[in-house]
Amino acid sequence: MKKIGLRRLSAIAAVSLSATVLAVVPAHAATTIKIITPNYTDAMPAYYADLNARFEAANPGIKVEHTNLSWDDILVKGRTLVATNSTPDIMNLNTFSDYAAADLLYKATDIFDAKTLADFVPAFIDNSKYNGTAYAVPDLASARMFFYNKKILYTSGVNKVPTTWAEVTAAAKKIKAKYPSVYPIAIPLGSEEAQGEFAIWAGGNNGRYFDDKTKKWVINSKANVETLKFLTSLVKAGLTQPSPASTNRTDAFKLFSQGKVGMINASVFFPSTLKDYKSKVDYGVAPFPHSATGKSITLGVQDYFMAFKKPGNDVAVKAWMNFLFQPTNYAGFLKAAGGFIPATKSASTAVDSSLLPFIAQLPNAIFYPGDLAAWPKVAGTITTQVGTGVIYDAKGVLDKIQKVAVAAGTK
Amino acid sequence: MTAISLGAKKVKNRRPANSFLSALPWIGPAILLILLVVVWPAIELIRISLTKITSAGVLEGFNGLGNYRLLFENPDLKTIAIRTVIWVLSVVFLTVIISLPLAQLINQNFPGRKFVRWAMIVPWAASVVMTSIIWKWMLELTSGEFNLTLRQLGIQHGQPVDWLRDPRFSFYVLIWVAVFVSIPFTTFVILAGLQSIPHDIVEAAQVDGASAWQVYRGIKFPLLRNSLLIATIINLINVFNSFPIIWALTRGGPGYNTDTTTTFAYKMAFVEYNMGPSTALGVINFGFIMLIVLVYLRVTKATRDQA
Repeated sequence: MKKIGLRRLSAIAAVSLSATVLAVVPAHAATTIKIITPNYTDAMPAYYADLNARFEAANPGIKVEHTNLSWDDILVKGRTLVATNSTPDIMNLNTFSDYAAADLLYKATDIFDAKTLADFVPAFIDNSKYNGTAYAVPDLASARMFFYNKKILYTSGVNKVPTTWAEVTAAAKKIKAKYPSVYPIAIPLGSEEAQGEFAIWAGGNNGRYFDDKTKKWVINSKANVETLKFLTSLVKAGLTQPSPASTNRTDAFKLFSQGKVGMINASVFFPSTLKDYKSKVDYGVAPFPHSATGKSITLGVQDYFMAFKKPGNDVAVKAWMNFLFQPTNYAGFLKAAGGFIPATKSASTAVDSSLLPFIAQLPNAIFYPGDLAAWPKVAGTITTQVGTGVIYDAKGVLDKIQKVAVAAGTK
Repeated sequence: MTAISLGAKKVKNRRPANSFLSALPWIGPAILLILLVVVWPAIELIRISLTKITSAGVLEGFNGLGNYRLLFENPDLKTIAIRTVIWVLSVVFLTVIISLPLAQLINQNFPGRKFVRWAMIVPWAASVVMTSIIWKWMLELTSGEFNLTLRQLGIQHGQPVDWLRDPRFSFYVLIWVAVFVSIPFTTFVILAGLQSIPHDIVEAAQVDGASAWQVYRGIKFPLLRNSLLIATIINLINVFNSFPIIWALTRGGPGYNTDTTTTFAYKMAFVEYNMGPSTALGVINFGFIMLIVLVYLRVTKATRDQA
């Protein structure tokens, strides 16, 4: 029987010198639920303030204590809250499986009726299952495509958007010859999002992190080693931005927005990011290039809403979750989150036309093995380590990550 | 005479038995605070390091030395430990070497001395995170002031240098920023030492015809011993614990290339969700700090006894 930590995780307190201060809210006689969500954009806090005000008006017995956090903070908080016995009632996060494995979560069927559940996109709800049972629901998803700077590409004599690795290399060489100060292709393998950057390149070479058929980690597979070596060849030829192993996705996005990058892997929300940056770059979007033996894929990434089992909170969390996913409220959520793919079928019918190419890619989507309890740990190790494969020996680095994954298990 | 000495004897006899109890009302709150914010977390730290803990943060019971075993099996630990030693020693050494002449300088009387002293204390008074972020902006690849200046001066050609992301440079840049942040405190400790040197000794030496260097080498420097020791030890602790500089500038990356045991413990826990070994490393870091604190107490006691 697992036991939830009763005490402060002071080990962590000792090493983390930055303490986050929790707002102290007076206790109410009514049920109070604590909700913690990340800010997809700066519009999220205002959205939730409005949502919660309407929710509390409609549900007089329930008070909502809502904390909006940056992604950086919520990734740390998500772990410490459980360890410090201040588990929230509802959380929105990029992983759910290790909470499900620890038996902390309500099943999706405890929260939603069959009709609401049936409205979620099946592929996304399948990714929310642990041991065959959904313990979370998807809130939104993203897919990635190949973005290119039209002016740089076309004026460098590249007449066709690259679809294979060989064409990527050839196009990058042409761009470098024409524009020495432009980075032909940005490959951000810094810790912010290296697991995604590597997954999409490897996916186009039939490489995966986890083999669903054999139920084994395959991080150091031949296909993945080949992929990392291909990326290294681009780096060594000077066709990428400098130090890819420590370039974060945000850094690379900024370089692209300034017209300093020719080609980049980017997510469905990238157009709205470019708008935020007031970028003047005229960009095109294409399916992601693949190796000679692979086929074009996209990386589907989804986030989750999950409700934590706590005595007496079932009615309140059920009410709030259903309130959030009411069509108009959920539409507002998607709008505030900015440019993601909806997680429900009903919301998918009314999306912005800029999302359509990404939705068209979804049948070719590969996903992270997010249903494994080991995934958060493995993903964390990939983010910090995989980039060093372009500096050191690709095989050695992938072997090291594989070892961590194998030790973390396949449950 | 007798009465007085008897009284003195009485007081002396009574002190060991009762002084603690009678002092308790005054030191009680402080002791309580120390128990609460130092001793209790330390005990918890050790307790959790002996507990099995999942990536979700769930505690699963006693685990013996399992977390420590996992930590020492980590192939990267050795490199990171060696780097931590290099980090601490080089930052402290450079800081002291640079601070000695600086303290000498601001001990002189010159117009505008007040402003120089004021300017020197700023990097210390400012938040370290803020300072680190300003350095991050200055050293940014394409738009940082540093690279732009190098370019305008014609020193840098071709592709700009990626100071913070290129593992060939980033660790040295971190060392420099840490030195920059440590200099003010160190300089002022040494300055205090310089000002406590009696004028008459210096004057006597000068009358005897000692050169400025001889005065410094033979009189001032030896008398700075205590200030130097204290500055060194406090810097050792600060630099060893230094988290914000590394985290704000490089996050210890790429890989673990600029991690010290402090940032590594955090990275294991909150980026790689590898909680167990991280708690073990937390205990080891804590033990190391305790060791330096003991040395500090020894040194200050020695200097106090000397005085």
